[in-house]
Amino acid sequence: MLKGSLRKLLNALLLMIAVLVLNFTLIHIAPGDPVEALVGEMGGATPELIAELRSRFGLDQPLYVQLGTYLGRIAQGDFGHSLYYDQPVTALIAERIGPTILLVTTALFSAIALGTVLGVFSAQRRRSVLSHLVTVISLAGFSAPVFWVGIMLILLLSVSVPLLPISGMSSADSAASGLFYILDVLHHLVLPALTLALIYLAFYSRLSRASMLEVLGSDYIRTARAKGLPKRMVIYKHALRNAILPVVTFAGLQFGQVISGAVLVETVFAWPGLGTLAFESILRRDTPTLLGILFFSAVMVVVMNLVTDVVYRRVDPRIKAR
Amino acid sequence: MTATSTTPASAPEAVSPGRQAWRMFRQNHSALFGLAIIALIVLASVFGPYVYTVPPREMVWMPLTPPGESEYLLGTDYLGRDLLAGLINGGRVTLTVGLSAAVLTVLIGITVGALAGFFGGRVDDVLMRITEFFQVLPNLLFAMVVVMLFSPSLLNIAVAIGVVSWTSTARLTRAEFMRLREMEFVKAERSIGAGNARLIWRVILPNAAPPLIVVAALSIGTAILFEAGLSFLGLSDPNATSWGRMIGDNRPYILDSSWGVTFPGLCIFLTVLAISLVGDGLNDAFNPKLRQR
Amino acid sequence: MTGKKLLSVRNLEITFRTEGEDIPVVRDLSFDLDHGDTLGIVGESGCGKSITALSLLGLVPSPPGRISKGQILFEGEDLVQAGERRLNQVRGNDISMVFQEPMTSLNPVYTIGEQIAETARVHFGLSPAKAWARAVEMLDLVGIPSPDTRAHDFPHQLSGGMRQRVMIAIALVCEPKLLIADEPTTALDVTVQAQVFDLFQELKQKIGAAIILITHDIGVVAQMTNRVMVMYAGRKIEEGPVAEFIRDPRHPYTRGLVSCIPRLRLPPDDHPAPLFEIPGVVPSPWELNRPGCAFAPRCARAMARCRTENPVLAPLGDGRAAACWLETEAAA
Ligand SMILES: Nc1ncnc2c1ncn2[C@@H]1O[C@H](COP(=O)(O)OP(=O)(O)OP(=O)(O)O)[C@@H](O)[C@H]1O
Ligand SMILES: [Mg+2]
Repeated sequence: MLKGSLRKLLNALLLMIAVLVLNFTLIHIAPGDPVEALVGEMGGATPELIAELRSRFGLDQPLYVQLGTYLGRIAQGDFGHSLYYDQPVTALIAERIGPTILLVTTALFSAIALGTVLGVFSAQRRRSVLSHLVTVISLAGFSAPVFWVGIMLILLLSVSVPLLPISGMSSADSAASGLFYILDVLHHLVLPALTLALIYLAFYSRLSRASMLEVLGSDYIRTARAKGLPKRMVIYKHALRNAILPVVTFAGLQFGQVISGAVLVETVFAWPGLGTLAFESILRRDTPTLLGILFFSAVMVVVMNLVTDVVYRRVDPRIKAR
Repeated sequence: MTATSTTPASAPEAVSPGRQAWRMFRQNHSALFGLAIIALIVLASVFGPYVYTVPPREMVWMPLTPPGESEYLLGTDYLGRDLLAGLINGGRVTLTVGLSAAVLTVLIGITVGALAGFFGGRVDDVLMRITEFFQVLPNLLFAMVVVMLFSPSLLNIAVAIGVVSWTSTARLTRAEFMRLREMEFVKAERSIGAGNARLIWRVILPNAAPPLIVVAALSIGTAILFEAGLSFLGLSDPNATSWGRMIGDNRPYILDSSWGVTFPGLCIFLTVLAISLVGDGLNDAFNPKLRQR
Repeated sequence: MTGKKLLSVRNLEITFRTEGEDIPVVRDLSFDLDHGDTLGIVGESGCGKSITALSLLGLVPSPPGRISKGQILFEGEDLVQAGERRLNQVRGNDISMVFQEPMTSLNPVYTIGEQIAETARVHFGLSPAKAWARAVEMLDLVGIPSPDTRAHDFPHQLSGGMRQRVMIAIALVCEPKLLIADEPTTALDVTVQAQVFDLFQELKQKIGAAIILITHDIGVVAQMTNRVMVMYAGRKIEEGPVAEFIRDPRHPYTRGLVSCIPRLRLPPDDHPAPLFEIPGVVPSPWELNRPGCAFAPRCARAMARCRTENPVLAPLGDGRAAACWLETEAAA
């Protein structure tokens, strides 16, 4: 078991290195190199200066040496410098990660909670209104572009009925502090979180419904009923615990993909998180920042996979044996 | 019910699985509805530009004219461009990119999954490592990086989407191949000297087709959404109109013209919805037992 | 109708809704069981044995299935009319059941001790500690070694035979009056099958519950039960005490069945007779709507009457009965 964990950790490390190598490769096969870009911005330079710059950046070294230097820098926590913000990429990411985590956690957890409830209830009555509702939600949520849903919600809940703020994370004019600041942030959180949650809800209600249906048809549920257990015990003790397993797996996987998932929603609502930062780096062709976010997100995915693994061991006794 | 339909369930012999699936599909109203919408959208995108010849990227009228107030049925955007013309021409781009990305997704996915599932062992180990790697990559961000580093041409966009989306297809194909390669008919083919290539493409693949067809259909929808997201973020061919890009372009003006974002979004929504309906219909048709879900 | 009978099934009909039509899979089924009695139910796959057993517990999967006619009188009370609350008092407590599939019939996420104990908690209101002790005791009773450590095991840590023992422990924990065992060994290895049947034999003495044993195997019935009932296509076609039944089966279908087990009929030194095979297949429920005996298409001795009229169950004396026109006409 310890050996297994060690192997998983090693595997995770290898995956991260692979992401870095990929980053490096991409920069090098992409047309144009940093020196040319820099020279372009300076409005031209002599060939000597260009050669000088190349050697300063280490671009005259063989590729594998450059790769080594790159990995070495990363190992020291140096992800380079944002071309636009003139700040270390790590500082930028640290500054923006909080809002993203807040947004995604809120959305994901409410969607999982509500989705599981919807799925579990609708599975018990296949022909009910609730069951059809789950079908409709999951179809619509799968088919609607998330950024468009966000804009539609703005038109509905901020423009037609001005209930909620259109964008940002706090009101610019208020120097509110303490509780008022928190309330202000929550007020701003509602729309983006709702948008993201609707999409996740589509997925989780469908997943938990399918899972619950399968479990309800299983032999051990028949056993539980044959034992004379009351219905609530059959459903909430015997069925739910099993039906929840795939939900746990996917929650872990999706939590890792959070930043990717948040890019579009954050952009729509100008939510000052990593997603908006990624969008801004595209506009500004700020490659180091974008690559930094990409790597950081990949690390999140890997870490969350490991966490899911641990959680899964706790809820499914069958896994421990392996 | 007609007189001849008294024993439809008890006489399934002599009907090929494909025919049988089509029979089931035909009875599925929502799937047929989806198919009709798809047909309509494809027709409009292919022939629309010849019928409705208003140029999509030129100022033709007062900017921000609401729908129904001019000869331009759906109104104009912030640059005075005709929205309807944009939708018709944007459909072409969206559908082309979505379709090519989906084809790429399925091609990579099936190849990787088939090889891994068929050969197993080391081949499987290596290919699954690669698959795992691509699963770890945050797909939208990675596609953003690729498109930004290599110009945002339609081809690059389609490739970027394909490259980040194939992993689930590969896993499914692998599972199917692992199941099927142990079956009697495969062993029989092998014993009469069929080579690996023949076994993979001619013997096993056709039998793995039903679930793969469903996944392929659904992946078109996913690719369309993906393309819409990228072009909404501004990562689209500067010379082409697409639905996602129209939403991105018109977003700053939603207070003055909600129609500029509503209609393109509806187009994406309807298209992907139709594809999902067809995909679900295919799924039910191939697995009649699961129909009640 | 005497209130003394433990179980009395009267004219039971169970239907499944298929393509908008209610198709009966069990028809006009009646049988009785006394306290401590043992009844074997045999018949080909799909003839309705499991559904009949499930109906006794009110567990016919519904929809699409339902009990459309008849009564199930348990100690005089009609369980068909009983509500879910009442049924839950009976299930696992008065009537319990061991299923065909030991590998999937236990919940994978709870320990076997818990799965036995909860039954005792629910029906006897035992405290958690007492219920657990009772569970360990039951594991011991069904022959699981070192039961107090094994009680903490999860189902996947046990072999098929062990799991079936756990299922039996669950079924017996509340000392039921009726135990239904639906092909309890079909999914097990042959050697394990023998062990499980030995366990049943042993427990039969100890527990004093009435037993309904469902099986394909007449040999097992001969060893385990004192009465037997044969079902074919949803109907009872023959019934009687085991010994007479095996010596002299009456219905052409049961004759075929009995001759399928050479070891019961042949002296050991005789040449083995060719295995009797009943030609044809069991009709699907769809085809049963036509008139006549369901077995007629496969019956070597079918007469014109067999294809037009359904035979009635005729008593043959000694508590025996058979549904075959040949018997009726011979008696007449
Ligand atoms: N859920 C269901 N839906 C529709 N029909 C069913 C269902 N369950 C059982 N049946 C039908 O009921 C009939 C009797 O089934 P049952 O399981 O009682 O047979 P059995 O005698 O126990 O067979 P086996 O020996 O294979 O266990 C079968 O013809 C089957 O098709
Ligand atoms: Mg059965």
